[in-house]
This record gives sequence, C-alpha cells and structure tokens, in this order.
Amino acid sequence: MSDDPSDKRSLIVQNANVRVTVTYTRRTLLAGAAAATAVATVGTLSTAPIARAADPNSAQDMTDFVKLSAVLTGIMEGRLAPAADPIDIKRDYFKLVSEKRPAEFDKLLNIVRDNRNAPQAIIDNVQSDPDSKFLARSIVLMWYLGAWYDPDDLKMLAEPPPSPPEVSHRVISAKAYTQGWVWRVAQTHPMGSSDMQFGYWQRKPNPERPDFIGGA
Amino acid sequence: MADECKRYDVAIVGSGVAGALIAKYLAARGKKVVILEAGAKIPPNINDYMQRFFTSTFKVPESPYTPALFSPEDSTLLSKLVDPATVNAGRPTVLSLSPDKWKDPKKSYLVQGQKDGDQPFTSTYERVAGGTCTHWLGTSLRFCVNDFKMKSSFGQFVDWPIGYSDLDRWYGQAERELGVAADVRDQAGLGIPYAAGYAYPMPRISPSLVDAGVADALAKFTEAERAGLGMDDPKKPIRVISTPAARNSQPYGGRRACAGNTNCIPICPIQAKYDPTITLNEALDSGNVEFLDRAVASEVVVGPNGRVSQINYIRYQKDFKEPGQTTATGCVSATVYVIAANSIETPRLLLMSKIGDREGAVANSSGLVGKNLMDHPYYVVWALMPQDRPIYPYRGPLSTSGIEDLRDGKFRCERGAFRVDIGNEGWNFVVGGFGGDPNITTRDFVNGMNASGLNSKEISGLDRDNAALFGPQLAQTLNNLISRQIRLGFLVEQAPDTSNSVTLSDPSITDGLGLRRPQISYRISDYTRKGIVQSRKMSNLIFAKMGAKQFTKVLPDDPTRFEGDVDGEKVMLNFMGAGHLMGTHRMGSNAKDSVVDSFQRSWDHKNLFLVGSGTFPTTGTANPTLTIAALSLRTADRILREDLK
Repeated sequence: MSDDPSDKRSLIVQNANVRVTVTYTRRTLLAGAAAATAVATVGTLSTAPIARAADPNSAQDMTDFVKLSAVLTGIMEGRLAPAADPIDIKRDYFKLVSEKRPAEFDKLLNIVRDNRNAPQAIIDNVQSDPDSKFLARSIVLMWYLGAWYDPDDLKMLAEPPPSPPEVSHRVISAKAYTQGWVWRVAQTHPMGSSDMQFGYWQRKPNPERPDFIGGA
Repeated sequence: MADECKRYDVAIVGSGVAGALIAKYLAARGKKVVILEAGAKIPPNINDYMQRFFTSTFKVPESPYTPALFSPEDSTLLSKLVDPATVNAGRPTVLSLSPDKWKDPKKSYLVQGQKDGDQPFTSTYERVAGGTCTHWLGTSLRFCVNDFKMKSSFGQFVDWPIGYSDLDRWYGQAERELGVAADVRDQAGLGIPYAAGYAYPMPRISPSLVDAGVADALAKFTEAERAGLGMDDPKKPIRVISTPAARNSQPYGGRRACAGNTNCIPICPIQAKYDPTITLNEALDSGNVEFLDRAVASEVVVGPNGRVSQINYIRYQKDFKEPGQTTATGCVSATVYVIAANSIETPRLLLMSKIGDREGAVANSSGLVGKNLMDHPYYVVWALMPQDRPIYPYRGPLSTSGIEDLRDGKFRCERGAFRVDIGNEGWNFVVGGFGGDPNITTRDFVNGMNASGLNSKEISGLDRDNAALFGPQLAQTLNNLISRQIRLGFLVEQAPDTSNSVTLSDPSITDGLGLRRPQISYRISDYTRKGIVQSRKMSNLIFAKMGAKQFTKVLPDDPTRFEGDVDGEKVMLNFMGAGHLMGTHRMGSNAKDSVVDSFQRSWDHKNLFLVGSGTFPTTGTANPTLTIAALSLRTADRILREDLK
C-alpha cells in the first residue's frame, strides 16, 4: 500500500470522474473509501465502492502508467518517457489500454500505487491474477512491437484450447511501429525507419550493449 | 477495329523494369509510346506505401502495394484474405502459400496444385506501376559466361542464342540506368570478363558484421571440405564478396545514399534502392509517353499479314469488383508491340488471345508459350551464434554480400549451382509463419511460448522452458538472443522442364474482370534437388565453423518438403520462392525450339517483342533483373534501328 499522500489527494480531487468497478481489491476498496470521504466533504452524490477511470490527462496517472510500463518492460522510465517527449507515444498507449480494458487497467495502476518503490512487488502482484497478467503482457507487447495483442488472445495462445480460433494482432499506428522498443533492445532501428547513415552496419553498435535496461 | 485504335510507334504492356527501360529508351529518341499498366499508376510520393507497410500486420513483400491483400473488414486475419475472383487485376501473395491455401482458388490468385505431384510455385509478383521490382532486393549480378551455354559446357538443357560478349556492353548500360554499386575486382574473380577499364557507377556497398562472421567461417574451410562442395580448384578459398546492388553507396541519380533501413524488400523508404518508377518517371518526363493505368491488356490481335495489329484492353476504376461495376474497353495500335508483363502474365495474355478461332495460337507456333516456368528455388537456413558472440543482425541493407564461388563448376553436369545470399535481417522471415521476427521471439518471451525455438532452458539460459518474462530479464534475454540470429539463403539453379507450365484456368475461375486466371503446374527436378542437398551441406559447414546452432526447420505439412541425403544423413529439405519468374517464352536460335529470338522478337509475328526473364532459356544463379535490363536495352536499340528507323 502506498504511503504517498499525493496519491490520496489526486483520488479525492478527481473523484468526479468516477467509474464503478465490480472488481474488489484492497486498492479499489480504499478508492471507494476515499471517494466516500469526498462525498461527505463535498456533498456530491456518489456510490461506493467506486474507482475513478484512469485519466491520461492526470499527471499522476501517467506517471503511474510509465512506472508500470518500465517495471514490466525492463526499459528505464526516463527512456520510455523522456522528460521532454514530443513523440508522446505513452499517451496513445494509455488511451488505448484505458479504452480496451478499463477495469483491468485500473487494477494494474492500483498495483503500482501500492508498490511504487518495489518493482518486484509490482511484478508479483501483476502475476498473481490472470486478468492483470495478460493485460500486462499486452502492454509489454505494445511497447515492444507497437501492436495490440488482445489479452484474451494472449491467454489463448499461452494456454491453447483443443481447436484454437485464429488470433492475430493489429499494428496500432505507423508511429507506434516506429517507436517499438524491440528494435532498440536488438540494438538496431525499426525495419524501414533508420535514422543512421550509410555504412553504420559495418561497425558494432555504440554502446555495445544497451544502456537503457533497468526498468523503474 | 484497328482504325479506331489510337496509334503509337510503340505499345508496351507492363511498366516494370523491362517496359520502363524500353519506354524511356525509345521516348528519349522521339518515339511515341503508350504503356498499358494493369494496376495503379505511380503515386505522387511513397508515403501511402510506407504507411501501408508500417501498419500491416503481415509485412510481406506485397504489403505496401495495391490492390489490398485483405477484404476491407479485417486485415489482421489470414482467413480474411481477399477472394481473387473479386479483384480486377489480382496478383499472388506469399500469404496464400500456406498448406491450407495454395490449392484454393478462393485464396490463391494463381490456380495451383491441380495435378497430382504438383508443388507450389512460391514466387509472387506485383501488378502496379513499376512492376515487381517495386519490392525487389536490388541484387544486380551479371550472369557467368557458362550460364549462357549450359548445353555446350555441361551437356545440360540448352544454350542461349547469345553469349556473355553479346550482353557485356548492355550490362554496363543497365548498371548505369539502375545505378549499381560494386567493385569489378570482386566480380572478375568469378570469371566474368569485364571490358578493360570498366568501373561500376558507384563503389561497392560496405559489408556487414554478419558478412564478416561468414567470411571468418569460410576461411576455416579445409581443402578437402572445399573439394567436397565441388569447387573446381579446391586450393582456392571460398570468399564472401560484396554483392553488386542497385543501391546507392553515394548520391546517384538524384537519390541519396542507402541509410541501412533494412527494408529493401518490400520498400526502401528513401528510394536509395532503384525501383522502376524512377525510370518510368524519366520516360514520362520526355513528353512522349502516354501511361494508361488500371488498363488490363486482354487480347493481342494478329492481322491477316501475320503482324500484330492491335492490343485490346479493359479499364476499371476500383481495385475490387463492385456489383454492376462499369468497365471500359479500348485498343491501341502501334508499329511495334512489346509485352513486358512478367513470366506469368505475358503467357497468360498470349494464351487468352486468338488467331481466328485458335485460342492460344499467338506467338505459339513452337507450342512453348507458358512452358518451362522456372525460379531460383530458395533454400533458407538459420542459426544462433554462440553465447557472447552477437553478430548484430537487422542492420544495414537486407543483404550486402554473398558467396559466389559455387555459381559455376563442373558439378553443373550433375546438379544445380547456387549462390548464397547472406541475410542481414536475422530471422525476420523464417520463423513463425508470416509474423516475422523480432515479433515472434518477443511474443514467445512475453507470453511463455516457443514458436521461435529459442524459449527453452538450454538455449535461453533461463531456469525454465517457455519462460514468460517481465522486467530487465525480458529486455536482456531478447537482446542476447536476437543479436545472435543469422540467416543464409541459397538460390539454386533450376532445370527447365516443359511440364512446369502456365496455362489458363478453367473458365469458371476468373478475376474481377471475368478473365481466366493463370494456372500453374510446377515441381522441382532431381537436378535442382541435388543443388539444395549441396546447399544444406555447405550451410552445415558454415554454421559449424561459426559455432552456431542450427534452427532450420521444415514443417510437417510444408508442400515443398522432400527428403535429402546430406553426408549420409536423411534430412528434410524444402524451398521457398526467390521471386525470380523465368522461362515461359524462351529465346532460342530457331522457331521450332523457342518463342523469341535473341532480340526477344517473336518468331511468328515480326512486330511483337516478348521481353523480360520469360525469355531466359536457363536460369543461372544470378538474380534476373540486371539481365532483364540488359536484354531490354538491347531490344530497345534493335527496335529503334530496325523497326522504327
């Protein structure tokens, strides 16, 4: 559980943006309690238990998403989302996940909020629940490949039923493809999108090993 | 009818490298040219192509181009491949080559596998401005001297009616047109006689780290091993040499130098690699070329004097047939007609045409139109370099160097020769069906699967099979494994065989315009299989010298699979397509044994030229484009001097 007071504050301030969730975790109950406090304070109508929807315009939510992404992908936070980030692919990804799987996404963000300074605890919590686990894998593949793999499809691929239906994936956008991290992990560039110059291929990459691996 | 047709000096069917070069050559000399292109015209820029490539789930050679490969509702599921009956000017795609699709005319544009024993013809082509060289690799090798005389040198097949010396100057001109980067000193070692003082337009392309790794391995071959591979002089080393490529090593032709986008196939994003739209634009800039897009030639009409009198075509508006669609028919007439529609569409057009009521009679007194379809059956092997010895694939052009020393030798009396292309793109197209790496390996380690073959304890060094990873361990594992991938490809000489053929489909199987589709019957001969066996033998040696672990796999339902004896061991082998369609209207020295003469002129109709690699009597091992270009320029010069003087 997070001790960060700013976390609770952001929940209370943003509690008008509510979404009912049927998933009862320690974190959502806390969110419900926080929202109930806000109801008492501000006097607006609400229901409990509730949690707010993840909001890409919330700096805190975005920070949590980047933290989550860094922990899951193994890519340093500052490299996934540089301080000055004109490409801002994180926003596209945040919006996509929050549209595709709002409830599970909230759950993942709540895991981060509860374990900010404990990357392994984040991973352990994500792994402990199939819904979280497969959405987390979708998120990792999104960062690595710029493509959306539906968590249900990943589950089917990992645990194939006797006659699995055809599953596939969709490239999210040209921007997403060209921002795929697998290329940098492989110490190259996306195929079809090199920013290097003639002859680079006869020299080893510099640095010889990636300098951005480290997660959160 | 002919009186109603618009008249030109030259009418060309097809705007690929052959059609474009002939159009440019003749238009530059004031001749009026019309080009009928079955597909879309040159786009204003390549942005749409790039967007389509970037966002394609299946980044196959055909993915950037039109018509779309999928029905509009879903481009992510192979089951949604478009039915070729609904496409006005269809084309084959590698996506329809899977075991469940290649024989199904609702999935495969080419009607295949109708006869017992047929194997799939695995090469594809484009029908769009620029033709198939919109998605080519750029390899621009000259043929070896012996490639033109297989009969007299090795007692195999037939000789060409021309030899290397007839093409030498045209090779040089083609190299300037396409902009080829190479070093004569590398190539001359193959016994290719260059004119004294000849220099390629650009210095060679720099070799990759993968090339260097393979060169190190070859240096470790023993004399006995070289003899075992069939080297005529096993004392000589087998070398890795820079591959001549129509790819800029410095600015050339107003285009910039290659930036190593590793995407030559399907598309170079900066046009540092030549494609025929460059020539086509130059032709159009002359003001002497009229270009009709979405105009499918449907009939070559022969007049009573035996000369071609007109070509009829059908124009359509949209790529996909719509209910009640309106098409228009038209015709062109010209002094000279050139069919440059590739080795499948050219015979298809001829076979659709009639003389009187005799279908398939045009240019076909020899009976050889559509016969002897060939490719360079492409045997692909892949392996993983040892731990801590990354070779850094996915960098540079898709291929920068090759092994050429086994393109020629006495062994050609017995088996197919081959050249080796060294892949710089790791396992990009060899694992996981059409998903391609690094996607497949990434998915394996994120989702606990093993389609790549890499996700086992002994390979990954992890504590379990089918590991699903998060965090730094994921990134490190992927870095470690992907940076060690290596792929080699062997382009094997194919024997001409009249039973390998292009015919017309049953009338019930048509394209969106109602035209019968190409039907293919194809298999590879023992001569070619032996070349593949020898390829496997060589790859085993190379990987062993590198300390690399082989991962080459042939799927149990692969329709190209066959068993071969490699050094006493039974090994399952297979082949892919090289995209080198050859041989269906071969040239020769007489009208009985061939369809065209050495100038690619029809023996039957003096004002008809059938150009492209369909005229190749034998395949050699060099990628065909440079020879297509050289022959095209020679033909254009002949047309100018003899037919349009």
